[in-house]
Amino acid sequence: MSVLWPSLPYLLRGAASTVVLALAVLAVGSALGLALGLLRVVPWRVAAGAVGWAVEVVRAVPLLLLLFFVFFGLPALGVRIPTFPAAVLAMSLWMAANTAEVVRGGVQSIPRGQYEAARSLGLGWLRTLRFVILPQAMRRMLPPFVGLCTILVKDTSLAAIIGVFELTRAAQETIERTLRSFEIYGAAAVIYFALCFPLTRLAARLELRLGRP
Amino acid sequence: MTPAPAYTFEWAAVWRGLPYLLQGAGLTIVISAVAMALAAALGLAVRSAVDAYVELFRNTPLLIQIFIVYFGLPQLGVRLSPFLSGLSALVLYAAAYNAEIFRAGLEAVPRGQHEAAQSCGLSPAQALRFVIVPQALRIAFPALGNNLVSLVKNSSLVSTIGMVELMFVANDISFNNFRTFEIYGTTAVLYVMLVLALTRVLHAAEMRMARVAS
Repeated sequence: MSVLWPSLPYLLRGAASTVVLALAVLAVGSALGLALGLLRVVPWRVAAGAVGWAVEVVRAVPLLLLLFFVFFGLPALGVRIPTFPAAVLAMSLWMAANTAEVVRGGVQSIPRGQYEAARSLGLGWLRTLRFVILPQAMRRMLPPFVGLCTILVKDTSLAAIIGVFELTRAAQETIERTLRSFEIYGAAAVIYFALCFPLTRLAARLELRLGRP
Repeated sequence: MTPAPAYTFEWAAVWRGLPYLLQGAGLTIVISAVAMALAAALGLAVRSAVDAYVELFRNTPLLIQIFIVYFGLPQLGVRLSPFLSGLSALVLYAAAYNAEIFRAGLEAVPRGQHEAAQSCGLSPAQALRFVIVPQALRIAFPALGNNLVSLVKNSSLVSTIGMVELMFVANDISFNNFRTFEIYGTTAVLYVMLVLALTRVLHAAEMRMARVAS
């Protein structure tokens, strides 16, 4: 246990990087995901179909493989990306695909009658989406989206494998010095738990509050 | 005819035995109270232990769990092979999610089903076995399927501790011949085929269950 206290500041610096990485992915990935998710529900069949396939393919590939593909695979084509942007790019793709799925699920859960009612009020499909469907769908999208954010925070740990400095990497480096893997990984787990547990609680709460109409 | 000899009551025996009887009654109360208190404490402990397990494993990264099992446990004298380490971490992680899915499934079975089962004369155990659990499983099936798909993808993480599976082989080949783009691309195709086949099968099973149920 005595190795724990001197190592803690370094682990916390790693945790700060984890938060930065997660926020970067959250910004890029969820914006892209929202756009893709909306493209899946527009009445433009070709776009909806293409996006649907792309989302399904990205969701079917393990995040670790996406990460390796971006970091080790793309340089073969001459596209060389440093570790941090590579991690943000790979994870944003993952986040976007999953966010798109959440958006699609939310929008499609709105009853047909809402579309028909909006149409009969003379709203076009864009205004129907903007003023009638999305405000209702947001409520249903929020709990799974927060759940997705929890998974994102946990999965930022994979960035350590390609050498991005974040909590898991900080733990690995500390263990290389101290050789106390049980305590240090345990401490890292506790820090991850402190980051994720509030999000899990929030998701459960939102589900209770917003779940009922 | 002589009447049968009448039984003669001797209440003095009670008087003599009373302190002992009361002592026994006191112990009945004591043992019941102590058992109840300990049972409540144990029940609460089991309950909280399950809750803690579920929350702990759902709110920490799988990668860290794998590292704790493979790199951390040997420090406590528990040395597992890469295969067993990866397997136990994956099992513990997926089981935490499954526990949550089963709980939600059981809670989603309407109260009326419990009452109906009871009014048919089923014992609580029978009601659970024949009425509640089959319905809960059907409700939980899609979520369990999703968890299985996640498990297939998450299993790629055990490559980091040297367990030979698809991801490990992809790394192994591409670090030797440097054809990273081609190898990782092909590996991605393999994963996509695996996952899409799995989701199709699960979807078909789900449809079939829905048909049988209706």
